[in-house]
Amino acid sequence: MAPIAPRSGDAVFANVERVNAELFTLTYGAIVRQLLTDLEEVEEVNKQLDQMGYNIGIRLIDEFLAKSNVSRCVDFKETAEVIAKVGFKMFLGVSASVTNWDADGTCCSLILEDNPLVDFVELPDTCQGLYYCNVLSGVIRGALEMVSMKTEVTWVRDMLRGDDAYELKVKLLKQVPEEYPYKDDE
Amino acid sequence: MQFFGGSDISPSPPVTTGSGDNGHMMYIFNRNGVCLLYREWNRPLKTLDAQQDHKLMFGLLFSLKSFTAKMDPTSVEKGNLGLPQLPGQGCSFHSFRTNTYKLSFMESPSGIKIILVTSPKTGDLRESLKYIYNLYVEYVVKNPLYTPGTPIR
Amino acid sequence: MIGVGKLKQYTNVLEKPLSKGKQEVSLSAFAFLFSELVQYNQTQVDNISELERRLEDAGYAVGARVLELLCHREKVADSLEKGTEHEDEYMISEKEPLVNRFISIPKDMGTFNCGAFVAGIVRGVLDNAGFPAVVTAHFVPVEGQQRPRTTILIKFAEEVLRREARLG
Repeated sequence: MAPIAPRSGDAVFANVERVNAELFTLTYGAIVRQLLTDLEEVEEVNKQLDQMGYNIGIRLIDEFLAKSNVSRCVDFKETAEVIAKVGFKMFLGVSASVTNWDADGTCCSLILEDNPLVDFVELPDTCQGLYYCNVLSGVIRGALEMVSMKTEVTWVRDMLRGDDAYELKVKLLKQVPEEYPYKDDE
Repeated sequence: MQFFGGSDISPSPPVTTGSGDNGHMMYIFNRNGVCLLYREWNRPLKTLDAQQDHKLMFGLLFSLKSFTAKMDPTSVEKGNLGLPQLPGQGCSFHSFRTNTYKLSFMESPSGIKIILVTSPKTGDLRESLKYIYNLYVEYVVKNPLYTPGTPIR
Repeated sequence: MIGVGKLKQYTNVLEKPLSKGKQEVSLSAFAFLFSELVQYNQTQVDNISELERRLEDAGYAVGARVLELLCHREKVADSLEKGTEHEDEYMISEKEPLVNRFISIPKDMGTFNCGAFVAGIVRGVLDNAGFPAVVTAHFVPVEGQQRPRTTILIKFAEEVLRREARLG
């Protein structure tokens, strides 16, 4: 049995079931709205969105692996490219570009060319500290943790805050090897 | 939890070789060694309690993976025996056969391990394992009421 | 930097070109997001009806916005008006709405129905179009099928019926 070649983001996206992006956008909006009502503090909302993203990420990784046939990445550079070109495309139908690599190849930027989360969104003055798309950073962190990479994902630029693009910084903290999970005396 | 018999599953089941009735057991583990699912169809002999049985199975795979990678004649990056590997690192085995049973195994890069124990005459089950992985994704992972890392009900 | 050149900054959301209306995301992206909506709300409630009410609220917010979008595209639903001529109850029946597609409900959650979210959307649309109504989601068993279908029951407020009768 020859190994199956990984599929391109476009190919995967063309083959999965899709829904109207507005339903998705508005549902996300409803979640953010609920959080703002429940939690009051914008900082808490950012945290909760990141946590929700993380919860999604640790599930979504298996769907990603099952549908894309990506079996493993040689290094973090390849991983970042796969997220940008296959991951974003497969789930959100948009692609991202990878830039700003640091010298040792452990830190880079993902720049979103289109962001379906933010259609129709404008932040009111009361929510100025809100990272509206914080769910995305959580998703990436959660998904990478499941393939043994501890990362830190932060927003560098956010158009809702007046920047000219959506830019996420992804920093690889360490690769965690798989350990024997049971203690001997158990 | 309804695992089999779903009406419209997107990927179609692979054609299995041989006739039915040759499956013994199935295990699904996550990356932390939690047994998410255990099913048996034909297991006349049981000597251990369930928890010990799951641990032993997980331990067998864990060591075997480490040994097979160490003995790989084609790869330079081998690491030391017993030292933890990154999932997907090194080569990996997909089945072994004894005179009484065959064990087929797959591991996703996210550390999900699926094991089928069948009759020794069973053919290549890699497509079937992949199919089960797809079922896991569709019916377990996407269930809004499923908490990751807990046994599948 | 690739791609950045294409981005244009809009200081006001109203300056953005109204979206093409045909964009799509993957169903699983929606399923995962909805999953989180359910899980988060589970942490905020003590019982199932409370959970359904919160999902309905979230749906309502979506429904209200959906209507705005529909109006922008000049496609206000006219089938609605026609529908109200005779009875006060309407049903939308779906074999498996998106939100219930991946769910399997443990026994201890009884009749919990994620369709509450859809009911909320419908109520949001109707309410903002001037048709206040009570909208609820129910499981209806189907003979010979393991999974029930979900029915969205719409019961219009009396004022709507009176008004329609006058116009009618």
